Amino acid sequence: MLRHDIHGAPASRRQVLKAGAATMSALVAQMSLPNFVFPGQGDDERLVPFEGMPRTGPNSLDWETLTEWITPQDQVFSVQHYGSPEVAPTEYRLEITGLVDRPRVLTLDAIKELPRREQLMTLECSGNGVSKGFMNAIYNSKWTGTPLAPLLDACGVRSEATEVVFFGVDRNEETLRKDTPREVTVDVPFGRSMSLDDAMRLNTLLAYERNDAPLEPRNGAPLRLIVPGWYGIANVKWLTRIELRDNRYMGRFMGRDYVTVRGRKQGDEVVFIETSVTRMNLKSVIARVMRRDTVDGQVPVKVYGAAWDDGTGIDRVEVRVDDGPWRPAVLDAEPRAKYCWRFFSADLGLLEPGPCTLVSRAIDVHGRVQPTAADDEIALKRTYWESYAQWPRVVQLDA
Amino acid sequence: MKRHRRGFPAAVITLAILLSVVAWRAPAWAADEGAKITGTVRYHVDPDRVWRYRRYYVADHKTGEIAEAVVALRGQSLRKGTYPAVEEVAVIDQRDHQFVPETSAIRAGQTVRFSNSDAANHNVYSRDPLHPFNNTIPSGGELTETFPRGGGISRPVELGCVFHNNMRAWVFVFEHPFFQVTASDGRYNLTGVPPGEYRLEMAHPAGRLRWSKEITVHAGETVTVDIDVSPDDVQKD
Repeated sequence: MLRHDIHGAPASRRQVLKAGAATMSALVAQMSLPNFVFPGQGDDERLVPFEGMPRTGPNSLDWETLTEWITPQDQVFSVQHYGSPEVAPTEYRLEITGLVDRPRVLTLDAIKELPRREQLMTLECSGNGVSKGFMNAIYNSKWTGTPLAPLLDACGVRSEATEVVFFGVDRNEETLRKDTPREVTVDVPFGRSMSLDDAMRLNTLLAYERNDAPLEPRNGAPLRLIVPGWYGIANVKWLTRIELRDNRYMGRFMGRDYVTVRGRKQGDEVVFIETSVTRMNLKSVIARVMRRDTVDGQVPVKVYGAAWDDGTGIDRVEVRVDDGPWRPAVLDAEPRAKYCWRFFSADLGLLEPGPCTLVSRAIDVHGRVQPTAADDEIALKRTYWESYAQWPRVVQLDA
Repeated sequence: MKRHRRGFPAAVITLAILLSVVAWRAPAWAADEGAKITGTVRYHVDPDRVWRYRRYYVADHKTGEIAEAVVALRGQSLRKGTYPAVEEVAVIDQRDHQFVPETSAIRAGQTVRFSNSDAANHNVYSRDPLHPFNNTIPSGGELTETFPRGGGISRPVELGCVFHNNMRAWVFVFEHPFFQVTASDGRYNLTGVPPGEYRLEMAHPAGRLRWSKEITVHAGETVTVDIDVSPDDVQKD
């Protein structure tokens, strides 16, 4: 099994292991591309495939071979709603307009001359985990660009501005009140918004590089918004216009799609609330199950996985076998960054041969526990976005 | 007489054309004189160039036999025969959010029955300009689709599901019966092959592997051609 070093050259796992945690920490500190190997993974371990799960294809995370903390490009998903435009960098312009004293139009070169910042971040589609067919829409990256807040400050945001809208190059016709006398069809750009307060405080980035390479067209080239800790939909691709407003933007992807409808019990009543998809939720998943040769009729099993949230902080991860007690997993100390997934492992010891169900749950620093699908938090959710329930993995352990 | 002189050559020409057509369509060999081409498709690992999804298709990583590889013949000699239509309906299920099988090979004119064994709704679409279709299959439902034209090994009909981007499948459609999809043992057997010169081809769409070799077969003989591929045989964009 090989990994690639930070320069892309192949390196054996043993070589990487020898590099050690100290080297890894240094790499992260230098904001280079950290590599990762699950600690303690032995050469004699072999994969136990998940039962009833579809094969993984290109351009989606291959959980069972997850070894790299920074996701390689061939496992990066992309979702687009209005097609995937190709924008020539030389013709690209970013407009900052609306409630600002000094509107600006910037070329890509002009943006690259602004202060440069790097941001490590795990980006997940809010629908990731909705079904076994959509479990791979997540990746971890180093993004490079210029921070949004000082640029907005330089434009002179007016005191009445409360909302920032981010528009992409991609556009489409949208029909409202379809098949009614009040039907209306309009041509609109893709848009998402956030409060001005959020835009200024969330380390929001205008990114033109991923992992030290220019963005690929399908990932939003030449410029995309990066909002650390927010679901993928907020990270507007092919960004071309930023508009400051004093009223709420209610485009399709704020007011109709990517709206979570969730019920909450209030006495005997369930009250449903509709909210825009924004911050990522606490989540973990077992990436793969490994085993060794049978010992005295039992199977040595170890699991590896990842946990993430909106930057609040993972306190611990626990793993359970069938209906047994929760067992603590080991969270890796490094690599580690506020808005990135953390890898974990759990040695489950010797298990009986046969089918078994393994599941993980993450617990954050405030004590919030990743729910099960049966918990009200998930069971009373009527839309599929924000799919963060515990995800049981079924495996067959042969004697 | 004059009319006869003018008409006779035309009749002869017509007869000659008819005879030539009949001669072209008639088998030029007896069925039991057909050759047999057999072999095993194997994948050879290069540790520096990892095929990430090998685990799905290569059961024994030491010996490397590849499942779901399509092996087929191409060549003018195939025109020597007529081949009865295949009435059997092929089946592709949608199960656990996956097409099962992912790779199929059928005869031109053959029908495929698509079924949905999942609780979720699925869809089957093809964006092939020669054979576009797009149909939703509710849970427990099915639909049939006939593939009238053969694209051969170089042009399978690629299928997907509009609801689930990760679902994908390939249907290879042939105008002749000399093709096979390998099982986990990697073996293929093409029997009753008309004597002649061919290009023996292999495609593994999920692995983007392509391989081919010129071969000549004679009546009644068995030819063994093992197909050994490596990352060198990965098709480039």
